[in-house]
Amino acid sequence: MVMKSKNDNNYAIIVNNVSKKFKLMYDKPYTLKERIVFWKKSKVSYHQVLKNINVKIKKGETVALIGVNGSGKSTLLKLMTKIIYPTEGTIITNGKLTSLLELGAGFHPDFTGRENIYFNASIFGLSAAEIDSRVQEIIDFSELGEFIDAPVRTYSSGMYMRLAFSVAINVDAEILLIDEILAVGDQHFQDKCFAKLKQLRDSDKTIVIVSHSLGPIKDLCNRAIWICDGEVKEDGSTKEVIDDYLKVCG
Amino acid sequence: MFKQLFNDLYSYRQLLKSNVSKEIRGKYKGSFLGVLWSFVNPLLMTLVYAIVFPFVLKTGQPHYVTFLIIGVLPWNFFTTVINQGTNCILVNGGIIKKVYFPREILPISIATSGLVNFLISSIIILIFLFFSGVGYSFNILFYPLIVLIQYILSMGILFITCSIDVYIRDAEYIINFFIMMLFYGTPVLYSASLFPKKIRTILNFNPMCPIINSYRDIFLYKKVPDLSLLLIVLVESIVLFVIGLKVFNKLQKGFAEEV
Repeated sequence: MVMKSKNDNNYAIIVNNVSKKFKLMYDKPYTLKERIVFWKKSKVSYHQVLKNINVKIKKGETVALIGVNGSGKSTLLKLMTKIIYPTEGTIITNGKLTSLLELGAGFHPDFTGRENIYFNASIFGLSAAEIDSRVQEIIDFSELGEFIDAPVRTYSSGMYMRLAFSVAINVDAEILLIDEILAVGDQHFQDKCFAKLKQLRDSDKTIVIVSHSLGPIKDLCNRAIWICDGEVKEDGSTKEVIDDYLKVCG
Repeated sequence: MFKQLFNDLYSYRQLLKSNVSKEIRGKYKGSFLGVLWSFVNPLLMTLVYAIVFPFVLKTGQPHYVTFLIIGVLPWNFFTTVINQGTNCILVNGGIIKKVYFPREILPISIATSGLVNFLISSIIILIFLFFSGVGYSFNILFYPLIVLIQYILSMGILFITCSIDVYIRDAEYIINFFIMMLFYGTPVLYSASLFPKKIRTILNFNPMCPIINSYRDIFLYKKVPDLSLLLIVLVESIVLFVIGLKVFNKLQKGFAEEV
């Protein structure tokens, strides 16, 4: 365990010397037979995704993670949510955390939209009473109207996304981690999501966004972190970082 | 470690609840009898045993059908939890990769849905006791204690088996076989008193043996169960639970990458 010092309480997320390696196995031995027969035979190589990352995110900050594909942005986000664990280093988060890595994870196709709201929100750690008080707000935000009581499998992909986004954004987490999902629904709904995100930003929630849509990000975030080949290349105001990023990758 | 677990379980209680009900209702979804299957199944099993075994074993056991049902139902609880729970992490792989929630919820909800099922199906035992003319005694008050021990025991084992199964997929089949073997080492079909004392002592190393004997004591024989033996099983179960939780906590860090 890492001791928390007092001023750490001002931070929502502290990433400390974090490295992450993924084990790459060709012919991964899943069964006992394979484990015995191919003992010490299976080729193992490691893919280093993140190298010695140090990031501190203050409470109330809105941070964008940018970088080219495969640079390790999403891995960093997954580490922050504790879906995966770092090979080295530690990650400390303060406060209730919600992640939108993939919209509608855990939706059950046979259940109605309303039931899925309950199910999905419970995965985010809400109690029945908390969901009850929010369910109308979520339905209104999703603009699904009467379809809310139809099974989710009958939804169009846009409706599906809208419902998923509405649940996640109304969970009322202190820290919100979002992975490239600003492109939800039609223009009207996108604008609405964007407005909601701005509102969350101004209500001192901590938001971390991974995105390639640099335009909206410039508008939304006050800080950007450029990750390149698993290392922090630049960390600063959104405008400067994005300008430098565009010089190299644009 | 326990404080963390209880905190998690408390804040994610809604998830636990909906998982348990999904487990109970969802299993027989689409079938004609639905949830009733979880009661019809052990009854049918008992019927088969009751027809076949008196010929083979010549047990001379009075109230053999009642005797059987008191053994079959708890055994069914135990095997359902272990057999169906062992792959609970693998089955939920999709969601484990995408959302964070305390992973312990998955095995715990399997064990709990088994528990709920067993509590309800215990009514069958009471019905059999009534119609066979055995009747009831105050020793039934020991029932919650025995159930609790069995619950802790099966959860402890499940923690270990389900987390190992992620890394070694054979675990499921090995465990299925082992449970099947254990069935014959547990006095479900026969009475442990058939054996000389030495063998009975060996049988008692299997924690399910004292548990099932205790159910029979309180329901069928209307006497106080062997409390010292139950206490040992309780300690064993708690130790197993702690070890299970430790193993689970260690292995769960790789779940999202392995499933």
